Amino acid sequence: MAGMKKIISLLAALFIVLLFSFSVCADTGVSYTYDYWKNVKESPAAFGLEQVVDASNLNGASFGSVDDVCASADGRLFVADKTAGRIYVFDDSGNLLQSIKAIKSSDGKIVINKDGSQLILNGCEGLFMDEETDELYIANTGSMQVVVLDGNDYTFKRVFGKPENMTGTTEFKPSKVAVDHSGRIYLVVQSSYEGIIELNKDGSFSRYFGVNTPKVNLVDYFWKSIASDKQKQKMSKIYAPAFNNVAIDGEGFVMAVTYDSAAEDSVFRLNSGGKNVLREEGNIPVVGDIRSYDSTQSQFVDIAVTDYGTYAVIDKSKGRIFLYNFDGELLNVFGGMGDLKGEFKNPTSIAWLGDKLAVSDGTLNAVYIFAPTDFGKAILKGNEAYYYGRWDEALGYFKEAIRLNANYEPAYSAIGKNYLMKNEYRQAMYYFKLGNNRIFYSKAFNGYRNIVLKKYFYIPAGIMLLLIIGIIYSEVRFFQEKRRYYR
Amino acid sequence: MNEQAKEKISYYKTSLFHPFYAFYEIRFRKKGSLKIAFVLMCLFGILQCAAYQYTGFVMNKNPVHEMNSVSIFLTYAGGVVLFTISNWAVTTLFNGKGGMGDIFTVVCYSLTPLIALDLIVVIASNFVIIEEVMILQAIHGIALVYFIFLAMAGLCTIHEYSLKENIISILATFIAAAIIIFIGVLFFTMIEKMAGFIWLVVEEAMRKL
Repeated sequence: MAGMKKIISLLAALFIVLLFSFSVCADTGVSYTYDYWKNVKESPAAFGLEQVVDASNLNGASFGSVDDVCASADGRLFVADKTAGRIYVFDDSGNLLQSIKAIKSSDGKIVINKDGSQLILNGCEGLFMDEETDELYIANTGSMQVVVLDGNDYTFKRVFGKPENMTGTTEFKPSKVAVDHSGRIYLVVQSSYEGIIELNKDGSFSRYFGVNTPKVNLVDYFWKSIASDKQKQKMSKIYAPAFNNVAIDGEGFVMAVTYDSAAEDSVFRLNSGGKNVLREEGNIPVVGDIRSYDSTQSQFVDIAVTDYGTYAVIDKSKGRIFLYNFDGELLNVFGGMGDLKGEFKNPTSIAWLGDKLAVSDGTLNAVYIFAPTDFGKAILKGNEAYYYGRWDEALGYFKEAIRLNANYEPAYSAIGKNYLMKNEYRQAMYYFKLGNNRIFYSKAFNGYRNIVLKKYFYIPAGIMLLLIIGIIYSEVRFFQEKRRYYR
Repeated sequence: MNEQAKEKISYYKTSLFHPFYAFYEIRFRKKGSLKIAFVLMCLFGILQCAAYQYTGFVMNKNPVHEMNSVSIFLTYAGGVVLFTISNWAVTTLFNGKGGMGDIFTVVCYSLTPLIALDLIVVIASNFVIIEEVMILQAIHGIALVYFIFLAMAGLCTIHEYSLKENIISILATFIAAAIIIFIGVLFFTMIEKMAGFIWLVVEEAMRKL
């Protein structure tokens, strides 16, 4: 009987241990942020794996590869398969709605290309869902064209080949595509040094867009400065690094990433002149990992932007997802390479699926759907409320974030900003100090100092007055003495 | 306070505004005081600790929570001592006339503007916003320039150097200081290795016996 009890209690203990270990497995990889001094600070993960969309969701077929994901506002998930040349459409619970290969017109007929061949998807690498016109843009890389489908029944609308007026040496092989609010089409050609191709709404060539400056190497600069013209000709030219992916943010700016290690920046928010106007107001620059044991740079393959400017970039070298808000403050880093469910082998793209994140992996041929944790919800909603100016609401969310992670500088800083907006300077200063935000601390302190100065103005004013009276008095005395002396 | 001490203090004051004259008197008529110099060096070290911790938040980028006041004090006070030793070592070779005490006195006396103005900067930094930080940085810059001027003037005078010779000797001083640090580190690593080895032998012997 005693032995039986022992076995039962042992089994119970084992069960508890197993339960515990599973709950640990659910949070994949490490999650962290950086503090002001660039130390790694552990943090709860903002996102946890919710669902996996892989070959088992395809009703018997299988992925050739998974190269791009995008989502529509109503929760449909589009997956581009370059190897098979197909687009798969899933609903929000991962059921396959449609698989697109040959393009049909709205009356059910086969669409014919200009050269007489049938229009089919061939090595398609990029997707973009334009919510305003309800159109699905497909970068049909293998056939060097951009195909536009109806967003609901996926029937043919338009196709763009290489524009006749296109200049430059870049091959027209669109790999990634994005469309801004006024219908301009931005195409990324991998390894093009001329920039992003911008097309007008009608598909004619507009310009090369975006400046991606290479890093300046002091040694090269020295040799170039003393070399003769002939020597310079023989030297290898430094080309501008290529952009690797594009997205459109809520205000219609083009956001781009590059993983070329020769590039000066890795995340871009391009204004209409093509200059990088990304806000980097956080305590650390927007470069991904700052300290890494093997001193490799983060390599961003894709960027996903919400309407309120919070963006997620995915690093293909370490499989980490970096979450930044519109000010460029690092909110959270999560994910990683590995063999566990939810870990990556070769992440290829990332997209927002409402509040969730869809991340595709090109080797595992799967799309992971990550849902925000309580912590993630707090920081996302907090940033959204702050972006739209709902201070009180934002304050509640950020306080919740602090409750879950007391080491979280961005939330302290955000709470401080909310108090600053309400002119509560003392509170704001307290939180900015905790958030290590010196610029905003200075703003709050300026307000506070003005109040104190106004309140106690009579003290410096009185001292000044006494000083003036004293000087006048001594002068008067001096002249009186002088007069007495000469008399 | 006796007459001699009063005179020494008055020469310390003079050295701040008439360095060539005062340092000449200090070197050749023994008007310098090592006690004042030592106090100044300690004040300098303490001020650096205070600056690390009490500089206003807007200007203070140090991780105050992991401050080590002993190491800060030793870094700055030790820096003064190291400069004195290596400058003496170099100038003896370069026909410098000043002794170790003279060099120490000159360097510590010259620290006075740095101590005084940086104290103002530390206090004032608690009442400024980012736009006004520049003013405090300018004050700090003035203090630094004043310090360098006093030290150069003093070293020139006590070693009987021209300005050019003095600059060369100071550059050589820095090289000498680097060599001293290198040898020091080397020495301590060797001692550590040796102690480790002896400890290993003792441990081995204790197991065997």
